[in-house]
Amino acid sequence: MPTTLARISLALALMTAAAIMPLHAMTTTERPALNVSIAVFDPGVPDDPSLHRELLIFPRIRHIEASLLPFALRNALSATRQWGAVRVVPRIDPAAELLIGGRINQSDGNTLELQITATDASGDIWIDRPYAGTSLETIFESVARDLGKHLQQLSDKQTTDIIRISLLRYAEQVAPSAFAGYLQEEGGRYSILRLPALDDPMVERIERVRGTDYAITDIVDERFEELHEEIASVYELWREYRGKLDVYQQQDLDRVSRSGAVGDDGSYEAILRIYENYKWDRIAVQEQDKLARAFDNEVGPVIDEMEYRVGRLEGLIEQKYAEWQRILEELFEVETGFGDLPAD
Amino acid sequence: MLRVDESLPADFAGNWQRDYVRGDDAGNVLNKQLYSLSRTVPDTQYSGSPGMPGATGLSPRKRDALIAVARLAEMITRPDTLTILQSDNEITVERDEDFAIFCGFYNGEAKATSTPYGSEICGWDGDNLVSLLQLPDGLSVMHRFTVSDDGQQLRIITTVDSKTSPAPFSLSRFYRRFEPAGSEFNCVETLSKKRVCSTGDLDL
Repeated sequence: MPTTLARISLALALMTAAAIMPLHAMTTTERPALNVSIAVFDPGVPDDPSLHRELLIFPRIRHIEASLLPFALRNALSATRQWGAVRVVPRIDPAAELLIGGRINQSDGNTLELQITATDASGDIWIDRPYAGTSLETIFESVARDLGKHLQQLSDKQTTDIIRISLLRYAEQVAPSAFAGYLQEEGGRYSILRLPALDDPMVERIERVRGTDYAITDIVDERFEELHEEIASVYELWREYRGKLDVYQQQDLDRVSRSGAVGDDGSYEAILRIYENYKWDRIAVQEQDKLARAFDNEVGPVIDEMEYRVGRLEGLIEQKYAEWQRILEELFEVETGFGDLPAD
Repeated sequence: MLRVDESLPADFAGNWQRDYVRGDDAGNVLNKQLYSLSRTVPDTQYSGSPGMPGATGLSPRKRDALIAVARLAEMITRPDTLTILQSDNEITVERDEDFAIFCGFYNGEAKATSTPYGSEICGWDGDNLVSLLQLPDGLSVMHRFTVSDDGQQLRIITTVDSKTSPAPFSLSRFYRRFEPAGSEFNCVETLSKKRVCSTGDLDL
């Protein structure tokens, strides 16, 4: 039966050391790059299913878009070379150095509108506004420009503090006993009260744990990237078709409004025209349903497989996370002698 | 129209094939209706005319308007087969050469489909599903769907009316449930590859 310390050593030895900027290695004269986490977007599907048809929202497609679009944003951010690692993460990580979230407000073949938020680890909201346009590239380049502008306005100390706060928030999640009291939170804003001692072994462990966490997240990220590559062309086709149908409907509306009555009032020709106007409009809408089904038929199996794989990895992360939490808490207790002390 | 708070009152889901033995003949129905109206409907064009006090009959204009709605009813009820999809909230009646009739019931209420060209809403009259399409110029198309107790037969009464027609025109159509012939191929529609078929599991 291994002792607690032996189990801890073994567990820590298994953790991959990763490139995490040590808390005290940062000086205020350096300007380290911020890591960015982009959470899978909110599909923006109304809870009321009766609105789906009315708004021409296909929940399954929105779900796919919510997984796909963050990659276009990631590519736009990476292209600026202003950032550290830019990851797409399957869940929101409040301790991320810079966390970007998105909500799909509108997505048809012609217009894409996203509500984008970006919040750093200190709780400072960089952006929270809608972006709309006809192409993904234009929208995400615009987001990247706004984020770049905000980044340029930060002092080196502010950047360093964000990274420190990020690690301390992460540490507080993993080992709350050991890292309580380093940060002050007020109204969602975090500031540093004090830093851990230079030789605090817990900090090094946390950095290694986070490195492992990042390594697993990167595996998830790679899976998402595969997904992106696999279905991006089909998604473009879907947007193109939807766009054409929208244009067709608009043209049809114009045609009907321009054309006059056919035949005498109440004649077969006149009522047939009225019926056919409705019929062709509905057929155009129902064609969109068919397109959505065809899109889902094609990419659905890929998404399902990917979600299964990502789900397994997420399960692994959660399992590891709980294990790390337990081990680090135990270790803190062994090293400090502070356990659950009686109140008096 | 009734509220639907629980499951839908009747199940129409399936493939339906026209039963030509039963159902109305549009020409016969029209002739009967023209005859009946010519004897009962006072026509303003004739009534009050000198020498024809209180005359009944149809003016050519009204006669043509009734024939017009009859022709439209006949055209609308032409499909040989129907595919009806039904879920907890929605019923979709797919018809050849026409748009699919859509009925949505959410939170116990029917949801209308509104477009610049007209609006469509459904409701229940007992176990009968009633779909009403209201179009410009007072044109309306109503379908009443009734499924037999054994679920094998379907009757649809389609009624077309217009503001100029002296009366609505109705046609009954009967359908029998059928199972489409099985195929050795599994096929699905896709976006980039169009229709994809396989004898085994589909590998897209």
